[in-house]
Amino acid sequence: MLTIETAKRILHTLNETMAQNQDRLIEIDSAIGDGDLGLTMSKAFRTADEQMADADEDDPGMLFAKAGMAMAKAAPSTMGSLVATGFMKGGKAVKGTPDWDAADVATFFRAFADGIMERGKTRPGNKTIVDVLDPVATALEEAAGRGADPAGVAQAATEAAARGEEAARNMTSQHGKAAIYREQTVGKQDPGAVAGMLIIQGFFSVF
Amino acid sequence: MMKKFINKPEAFVDEMLEGILAAHPDQLRNVADDLRCIVRADAPRTGKVALATGGGSGHLPLFLGYVGQGMLDGCAVGGVFQSPSSEQALEVTKAIDGGKGVLYIYGNYGGDIINFDMAAEMAEMEDIRVETYVAGEDVASAPKGEEGKRRGVAGIFYVYKCAGAKAEEGADLDEVKRVAELAGANVRTMGVALSPVIVPEVGKPSFTIGDGEMEIGMGIHGEPGIRRGKLLTADEVVQEMMDQIMPDLPYEKGDEVSVLMNGLGATPKEELYVAYRKVAEILKGKGISVVKVYVGEFATSLEMTGFSISMLKLNDELKGLLMKGARTPFFEQAAL
Repeated sequence: MLTIETAKRILHTLNETMAQNQDRLIEIDSAIGDGDLGLTMSKAFRTADEQMADADEDDPGMLFAKAGMAMAKAAPSTMGSLVATGFMKGGKAVKGTPDWDAADVATFFRAFADGIMERGKTRPGNKTIVDVLDPVATALEEAAGRGADPAGVAQAATEAAARGEEAARNMTSQHGKAAIYREQTVGKQDPGAVAGMLIIQGFFSVF
Repeated sequence: MMKKFINKPEAFVDEMLEGILAAHPDQLRNVADDLRCIVRADAPRTGKVALATGGGSGHLPLFLGYVGQGMLDGCAVGGVFQSPSSEQALEVTKAIDGGKGVLYIYGNYGGDIINFDMAAEMAEMEDIRVETYVAGEDVASAPKGEEGKRRGVAGIFYVYKCAGAKAEEGADLDEVKRVAELAGANVRTMGVALSPVIVPEVGKPSFTIGDGEMEIGMGIHGEPGIRRGKLLTADEVVQEMMDQIMPDLPYEKGDEVSVLMNGLGATPKEELYVAYRKVAEILKGKGISVVKVYVGEFATSLEMTGFSISMLKLNDELKGLLMKGARTPFFEQAAL
């Protein structure tokens, strides 16, 4: 369901998604963080799209891994590094598979989420991007297990992302500048979780 | 009020680097059109394991000051007390790899770990093998049993020295890493501070220490120590620090050690020697022999007043490596 052409289309879509949502992310991040996440994400995904569009690469996993490297260089903030890590870890986990099936997509997002947890030293429940990515990985594994078609896989992922983002609102921030506000973050959207949801929505909108 | 010899606060780090490169063009150069990517002038050294480090500015001679013959091959330089970027670490890695892989040695700080891990992962995608040793030996920063949480401070000098000497002998990456781990496992440090620091771009002290007070165990960015109290005599301060350091490894009767008396930036050497006098007395009383003593500035925190004591317990291998010659802009030693 995912070839090199699909992967390039996904990166292009993510570039558009982050550009369209830049101001929204800035606004959400300003409420509990330092307000730069909108710029970080739009810059990271714009660079990834621009550098990978004409890349001489026929392996989707390696394309995503290289996109992660491009993001790391373009947006060296904590969240930029963590999202870049997700793409690098996810891409490497599925390296060498020219046409991904649903199980490969699940493997990609499981390694994506695990990579961010490991590097960011966090786990689900701390009001972060992981609270979106971890349930998405689980939903993808279930979808692959029941033999869902690409549309069904995409639906499962985007629904899990929306539920994860919603759940994160009621959590207390433990990381970064938001951790200073602690209890005051309860009820507010987590900028990282929203960015994660946008990544999932953009990624699966091509299916 | 901030009283410093600077031009513009935001230019502090880059102008410092321009000065260092101008002073030591025979030993250092920068790569990737980035002043903050510093490597040995003769990098890459073909057939030698390369050693890279990095970390925030404000700690000279750490980190870049140990780039040179017998020690490190490259250093990624961050802003004051800030991590360098993963891209800077990667550029340094690419510039120093001589075909036998690269060992990262840096202190245990969150930002540095994220960026060096990213760089290692990117280097791997470019077929450069990277291994990492994260140094952390400040006994005041986490209790015994939680050594993995300890901050890296002046004792990293010993890790650079021993691993650098091993690499110079032509050892492979696994061997050099083993020596870094061995040196790191046998070194302990503890510091004491009397005054805070002013980060140029902040312009005011980031914390305060009252008149007549000291903080035992303070970190090199002003991280809280073990206790704050009335300033004691040099002998009493040293006794308290040694009481924490000695049982931690432990250092025992019959051991051979090297001692590093490190000024934190604004403490005169006279006071370091007054303090060492007491260290020597304590070690002699315990039946521990001292092989080599270093007194000076090895890892500072801008203009912080204070000092740290580091001790490396030696075995034959570490002793032999420690005695090897080295030549860097901030550290020179003839083979002993």
